[in-house]
Amino acid sequence: MSLATALFLAFFGVAAIWFGVVVFRTHSMVRSAIALLFSQTAIGAMFLVMQAEFLGVLQIMMMATEMSVMAIFMVMFMMDPGGMGKMDMTHQKRLSLWAGGIGLVAALVVIWTAGWQGPAPDVPGADEQARLLGREILGRSMFIFESAALMILTAMIAATMVAIAPQEEDTQ
Amino acid sequence: MSIAVIILALAIGCYAVAVLEGWAVHGRLSLTRPATSALALLGREQILPRTSDRLFFEVGPVLLLVAGLLSVAVIPLAPGLIITDLAIGALFLNAALAYVLVALIMAGWGPNGAYGMVGGWRFLGQFIAYAMLIVMPITAVAMRAESLSTTQIVLSQAALWNIAYQPIGFVLFVIAAMGVAWLPPIDLPTGGGDLAGGVEAEYTGARLAVLRLARLVIIVALAGATVTFYLGGWLGPWLPGWVWTALKTLAVAAGMLALGSRLPRLREAKYLELSWKLGITLALANIFLVGVIALVVPI
Amino acid sequence: MIPELMIALSVGAALFGVGLYGALSQTNLVMIIMGVELILAAALLNLVAFWRYLHPDVTAAKMFVLIVMAVMAVEMAVGFGIAIARFRSRGSVEMEEARELKG
Repeated sequence: MSLATALFLAFFGVAAIWFGVVVFRTHSMVRSAIALLFSQTAIGAMFLVMQAEFLGVLQIMMMATEMSVMAIFMVMFMMDPGGMGKMDMTHQKRLSLWAGGIGLVAALVVIWTAGWQGPAPDVPGADEQARLLGREILGRSMFIFESAALMILTAMIAATMVAIAPQEEDTQ
Repeated sequence: MSIAVIILALAIGCYAVAVLEGWAVHGRLSLTRPATSALALLGREQILPRTSDRLFFEVGPVLLLVAGLLSVAVIPLAPGLIITDLAIGALFLNAALAYVLVALIMAGWGPNGAYGMVGGWRFLGQFIAYAMLIVMPITAVAMRAESLSTTQIVLSQAALWNIAYQPIGFVLFVIAAMGVAWLPPIDLPTGGGDLAGGVEAEYTGARLAVLRLARLVIIVALAGATVTFYLGGWLGPWLPGWVWTALKTLAVAAGMLALGSRLPRLREAKYLELSWKLGITLALANIFLVGVIALVVPI
Repeated sequence: MIPELMIALSVGAALFGVGLYGALSQTNLVMIIMGVELILAAALLNLVAFWRYLHPDVTAAKMFVLIVMAVMAVEMAVGFGIAIARFRSRGSVEMEEARELKG
């Protein structure tokens, strides 16, 4: 059981990393956005393997929308969305590689030397988890949840205000 | 066992919906037409457009089919006759339907054709319009059932079907469902009059057959979801449960097709405006009303 | 030593590295947002892994995951709002050209 879990986790993990690398290696911008989508979907699948059903399905659902929106913004704002021209759109490559590599190695060192105490505990069933999460959201964490709602509302208003075209009287 | 039964039922349902669509669009009820046109499609030449994004072109229709099949997986045909009775089935249905959008964008972008691309991106706009109206009525349904499991949702309607309990939610859900399956009058991605087939424009032969089949599966899935959420699923007198589910699903599909073919096509901006200004307000009112009723009246 | 937790955390670390590389090396605002999304996804993965293998009884961990998901959506919305405003006034969202804030 545990071996199957580990294998599935490794499989979806490799898929997530591979698609994550494809995001920055492909020239076609739409492919890049869809690769990010599949990377996030693989992460959602890992949540499902880790028995977090609600969060996994939520991740898979939300990312489908977000990355599709991302794709249309890529097409709108890029000079070469189809990738036919093989344009290079990177800078400070050496610095970025070093930063990414150091981040990766530091995280790995911490992970592999931390000495987590096993064995892995059991989790409640999916029904029970959904019930507990509902109690948490509308009970102890209700204020945080409401703040998140307010944050999203603020962001919606702010993004719309920034994005709408200036009116005629402003430009005179 | 139950998987085989449901796949068989789905195949029959798809064929019946294809017959119904022929009746709604052309006015003729012909039992053999879908079979002959499918054979004709399979026999035709398969054209590969020049400088296409081959990967997207091939994956788009298949992903659409997979999304449709996944959304069927959580719809119960009868007690116990369901592919997976997930604890969060209603949310899973949403997640599967979200991939309809991804598949259409891929299918629209892939062939490197103007009409297909416009059709694919138009569906994104359409998605922004219907997304909230799919999720918020389901929230109200789950509130009454006190569960996200589709089986529990059907059982919660034993005393009174949700169509009577929350009629606003039903109307909104059906309109949004027509948007998901791009049925007329909201068939913007394929819009016959102005886009020459839209997403389907560059597809020929077997790939077009897969695309059309996937759309039929999605229509059946959405009709089944409407039945599960609002029309009491398998509940009904005299007949066995699966007969009721099948009859209601076909009736809902026929209703959506017949209604759609009698309305003029909606402009995308109009659909967005209606959905956000009117639809979301009504959906919030629906959630509030259901909450009050659920607290006050014990049914 | 919990092997599943190690695998999940290592995947998270790799995604963090890839995301950091992307966010630093791309010149386009939209691609930078993609890098940040990957970093946040790595954080999500770590949170769920910690919840599953160390503290499955703490439901607040899932609450935290929900909040991070909301932050991802908000970050994208505001980022794209800025992208639209910049594209409207400058005609491009290349960050090499954005030097107005430099003192």
